[in-house]
Amino acid sequence: MDRRARILVTAGVVGALVAPVVFDRDGFPLSTYPMYSRARGDAVTLATAQAVDSDGTRSTLTLGVIGDSDDPLIVAGELRDAIRDDRADQRCDEIARRAATWSGLPAGQLEIEVVTERHDVVAQVQGDDSLLERTVHASCEVPS
Amino acid sequence: MTDVVDAPSATRSLPIVDAVAPPERLAMLRILTGTFAVAYLLIRLPVFLQLADRSTGFDGVGLAVFLDGPVPGVVVDVTIALTLLAGVGYLLGWRFRVVGPIFAVGMLALGSYRGSWGQLLHFENLMVLYLLIVALAPSADAWSLDARRRAGGEVPPASSVYGWPIALASLVLVITYVITGFAKLRYGGLDWIFGDTLRNHVAYSAARLDLLGGTPSPFAGFGVRLEWVWPVAAAATVLIELAAPIALLGGRIRTVWVVAAWLMHVGILVFMLIGFPMPLFLVAFAPLYRIERLWTDRPAWLRRVSDQRSR
Repeated sequence: MDRRARILVTAGVVGALVAPVVFDRDGFPLSTYPMYSRARGDAVTLATAQAVDSDGTRSTLTLGVIGDSDDPLIVAGELRDAIRDDRADQRCDEIARRAATWSGLPAGQLEIEVVTERHDVVAQVQGDDSLLERTVHASCEVPS
Repeated sequence: MTDVVDAPSATRSLPIVDAVAPPERLAMLRILTGTFAVAYLLIRLPVFLQLADRSTGFDGVGLAVFLDGPVPGVVVDVTIALTLLAGVGYLLGWRFRVVGPIFAVGMLALGSYRGSWGQLLHFENLMVLYLLIVALAPSADAWSLDARRRAGGEVPPASSVYGWPIALASLVLVITYVITGFAKLRYGGLDWIFGDTLRNHVAYSAARLDLLGGTPSPFAGFGVRLEWVWPVAAAATVLIELAAPIALLGGRIRTVWVVAAWLMHVGILVFMLIGFPMPLFLVAFAPLYRIERLWTDRPAWLRRVSDQRSR
C-alpha cells in the first residue's frame, strides 16, 4: 500500500472510530463506550426472576435458569429488554421450564415471577434491608 | 514502540503513517491476537452456540443490521465452525491472505450477532478491530507457514508495510480509551468524578449479580464502605483514559500509562467482577511494544529447546 493510501486509510479509521461519538450512536465494533459512564444514584431498578412458593417466600434462581447464560450482562440485558418489549410472559415460561430441571429449586408448589425491584444498592451490598419497590411483570407456574 | 523513520526525503515524516517495523513484529501481533481470539472463541463457545436457538428479541447491530431477523441455527453453527478453523489458519499464518480476512470477518459477524440480542459486550470491540487490521496487512511474511513455504524463506526487511498496521492498531487503542473517558464526562458529567457514582456502580454490579443468583465480588461490600476512595479512583480512571495518547510517545511514559491502565482493569475485576480480558492479558497493549522480542530475546533454555527442534 503506498503512502497516500496509508494516509487515507488512517484518516478513515480515525473517522470511523469518532463517528459513533459524533452521532451518539453505539454499535459494534464502533462504539461510544457508554458502559458505566452515566451518573448513578444509590437507588437502582433491577430486573430479575424469582421462585415464589405458596407462602409467598421468594427464592433466588441462577443466571443459567434466568437467562440460559453465565454472563450477568447478557442475562440482565435480555430480561430488561423482554420486560420493555412486553415479552415478560414468554420469558417467564422459558425460565419456568429451565427451573423445572434445576436441582436447586425449592420443594413445593412454585411460581416464577419476572420482576423489577428497586433497591438501595449500597445497603444491599452491605447486607442491610434494601428493597424500595417491587413490580411483578409476569408470573407462571413451574411445570411439574 | 514502532519506529517512525525513512519517509521519502522530500516529504515530512508522519507519525503512524510512516512507522517502520520488521515483519516479525507484525507476525507476533498476528500470533498474539490470533491466540487470544481463538481462545476467546473456544471459551465462549457455549454462548455462541446458544445463539443458534434464539428466536425473539433480535435487534441487529454491526454486520447484523443487514439481517431482517434471526438466521437459521445451522447458519450460526457453520459460521462458528468456519471462524474457528480460519482462526487456526490466522494464528499459524496459513494461506493468510484469504484465511486471515475470513477469520476477522467471522469474528465481526459472530460478535455482531451475539450483540444483537439486547446486550453489547464492549470488550469484544478492540479484539475485532485488531483482527481486522492484522488480517488485512501482510502479517504472515514472517513466522508463518506461508513464510516457510515461500521460496528461499527470506524474511523481508523492516518497512512501513509492517510498521503502519501496528501503529494503526496503537492509534485505535488510544482513541478507544479516550472515547471511554470522554463518555464518562459526556453522560455522567463531573458528578461521575466528584460524586458517589463509581461507588454506586460497584454496589450496583454486586447487587445485580446477587439478585440474578450469581456470586458478587467478595470485595464489593468492603469497598463501598471506603467512601473516600471512590472519588479518587473515579478521577484516576478518567485521567488514565483521557491520557491514553501519551502511550504513543513510547519509552517510560508509555509503560507508566500501560501499568496504570492495567491496574485500572484489575480494580474493575476485583470490585465489580467485570473482566476486560484483552487488556488484562496485556494483548491490548501489544502494539505499543517491540513484541518480536518475546521470541528473539527468549530465555536461554527456551532457545536451546527451539534450536534442537529446528535441527
